[in-house]
Amino acid sequence: MQNEIVFATLAIITIVSAIIMISAHRPIDSALSFIVTLISVAALFGLMNATFLFVVQIIIYAGAILSLILFIIMFLNIKDENLPDEKYKNRWLLATSLILTPFCAILINLILRSDIALEGATAKNFGTIQDVGLTLFSKWVLPFELVSILLLVALIGAVMLSKRGE
Amino acid sequence: MMLKAYMILSIILFSIGVVGLISRRNIIVIYMSIELMLNAVNLSFVAISADLGESSAQVISLIIIAITASEAALFMSLFVILFRNKASLDANLFDMLGDKK
Repeated sequence: MQNEIVFATLAIITIVSAIIMISAHRPIDSALSFIVTLISVAALFGLMNATFLFVVQIIIYAGAILSLILFIIMFLNIKDENLPDEKYKNRWLLATSLILTPFCAILINLILRSDIALEGATAKNFGTIQDVGLTLFSKWVLPFELVSILLLVALIGAVMLSKRGE
Repeated sequence: MMLKAYMILSIILFSIGVVGLISRRNIIVIYMSIELMLNAVNLSFVAISADLGESSAQVISLIIIAITASEAALFMSLFVILFRNKASLDANLFDMLGDKK
């Protein structure tokens, strides 16, 4: 019962801050409310006993990536005239959500009808660093190595892109 | 019971991300909508993993987080170069793929 109350609170916080994120006019407001979304998603991970991903979500997402976004927003020195004038922003948001509602309803209906909830016996060390790390380095070594190549390519690409031309 | 609740929350978050991606023109908000969609996928992966008691899905979402980090680096350098060329964050203005006008 306690889990359900915590889950409902976190779900409401997540949805409301995500809606604020996509509808705020200035990018700094949406970045700040996106931090709230990410931290409450991290709390949902913690609620599911996925402790290692809880830590990773807070350190990498809310710590590194979002502070990078905030740094870029402040670094670019964005004035109001640099922002696009979205006169019909609310109308666009309303129309798109009206279009998307049937798809969302179909998916939710599908989930509610299916019998996916297995409630399997959770292992004692589920979600710890040991568990995730053993799986990562036994079954998923190749994707892990490919991710390292991808990070290298992204590093070189970022340097090459932002290099000032002659 | 709880798995279905997590999946429904993930679907709702993904739909909010799609709405933001389609209807906004500010490029930073578009980027954050993509991040929100990836986060919703992560949430459903972790919910399935917790329900099955098996940690492969958590490893997949860890890899997704790593991919997101490299995407963030590329997007940040794109923001800087686009803002330097056009002095705006309007996604409609960015139509120069390749040479500068």
